[in-house]
Amino acid sequence: MSRIEIASVSKTYDNGVAALKPITVDIAAGSFVVLLGPSGAGKSTLLRTLNGLETPSTGEVRIDGEVLGRANLRAMRARIGMVFQQFNLVGRLNVMTNVLCGRLGKRSGLGSLFFLMRRSDLERGHAVLARVGLTDKAWERADRLSGGQQQRVGIGRALAQEPAVLLADEPVSNLDPATSREIMDLISDICRRDGVTTIVSLHQVELARRYADRVIGLNDGNVVFDGPVGDLTEEVLRRIYGDGEDGGEYGGEYGAEYGGEDEGGHGGDVADA
Amino acid sequence: MWPTRSGWPPAGALAAAAAILALLAVAAPAAEIDPLRVIDSLGAMADFAGHLLVAPDWSYLPDLAAKMLETLAIAFLATVIAAVLSFPLGILAARNATPHVAVSHLTRQLLSVMRALPELMWALVFVSAVGLGPLPGVMALALVATGFLGKFFAETIEAVDTGPIEGVAAHGAGWLQVRRYAILPQVAPDFIGIVLYILDHNLRAATVLGLVGAGGIGYDMVMSMRLFQYDRIGLIALAIYVAVTVLDRASDQLRRRVI
Repeated sequence: MSRIEIASVSKTYDNGVAALKPITVDIAAGSFVVLLGPSGAGKSTLLRTLNGLETPSTGEVRIDGEVLGRANLRAMRARIGMVFQQFNLVGRLNVMTNVLCGRLGKRSGLGSLFFLMRRSDLERGHAVLARVGLTDKAWERADRLSGGQQQRVGIGRALAQEPAVLLADEPVSNLDPATSREIMDLISDICRRDGVTTIVSLHQVELARRYADRVIGLNDGNVVFDGPVGDLTEEVLRRIYGDGEDGGEYGGEYGAEYGGEDEGGHGGDVADA
Repeated sequence: MWPTRSGWPPAGALAAAAAILALLAVAAPAAEIDPLRVIDSLGAMADFAGHLLVAPDWSYLPDLAAKMLETLAIAFLATVIAAVLSFPLGILAARNATPHVAVSHLTRQLLSVMRALPELMWALVFVSAVGLGPLPGVMALALVATGFLGKFFAETIEAVDTGPIEGVAAHGAGWLQVRRYAILPQVAPDFIGIVLYILDHNLRAATVLGLVGAGGIGYDMVMSMRLFQYDRIGLIALAIYVAVTVLDRASDQLRRRVI
């Protein structure tokens, strides 16, 4: 259970692109937050500043009051799990080794450089694989697995470190709808049962409705909506996704519904938000 | 007609062909390429080949075996030493794995110096430094091989997929752990493949180290030539041919299995 404070964090890349305008958000311990927004809205950038994969241009990130910085980066990362859109597994290593990569933050010994793991770590690895349903794949090469299975390994890796925070960057964008729901169920279970503060970026509105406690809508680097999932009205979605020209952006299901009700003229307030 | 917009061959290809022809015209006289001279010496060549058709000196076999083993040992030792040394050097030289850009530049410079002189030259240097024998040979081969392997290793690391690196680093892995878990597994097959090539190359190179007194079969080869011991030359050439071919086939097989 960890509280996350994002204090006027902004990010401008070296090429001058302002991916994030100053954002201030306070995330309660144990909550399930979904970041919603079109491509390029800054969802990934925001998530990546939370574990130091990006360094904010201004502002700071605090986890349980501790400011994330260069000096404590490794220790902080050891408490923060991350699940990626492209899974980011080491394909040539077996599933178990990939999962045990989650333990590396707590193991600095020379042994870890020779793949020597502690018995307790291996036991943890087995327990994690049982939870993500991959016990029988433990000794297979990670790149031999299907996309859904690889994402389960990715979640296993995050679980292996016994995280206080779980970040998931578009974890289901490369998966079919049925697999997407399985993966989201798994992430949701980790949040609810283990009390892990979870932040997931998504572009599917229906998944956000189904799993989130709280939705933060981003557009062009600004927070344009922040509230409980119940407040996610049509008008709000228009604010998040613009005035419908790129309605196809967030999934066919909603896109069709959206296109029919297009009133236009409401996109203007996005820029001021 | 050529499948281009103008119907002419691409300008780049034409220019390259012209450049090669021009260079040939300059290089041929410098190398004293003279067809007449080659034809004139056909008799001498036949004469030499005729001398090889003698009963081999079988009593030389044990000596030959020992020298060939020494040659193989030199090649193998040098390759292993080079592989071990080039590992950290490659990481230091790769722009995406080095602790600092300056370190990368410095390491690249060092590797390029190692490669600059051929093995035989380094062997000459080391023979005068540590004396005659296989040791300077091993040192020379290892040095040049490290230069090549380090450079190749660095280039392979730079082409690595960054996803797994983020995946491992995001969970708190340290500097060395990221290199060990995310980078090395990705480059391992290429690295093993190139090490096997280097082993092949080193065996060939080890056969001539004897020319400068740096161990191996080369010394016997030169001495038999000088002393007109034709009954040995054939055996030596055959032994080298067999060793090189067997190793070549074996490493081909191994490489195919790894990649």
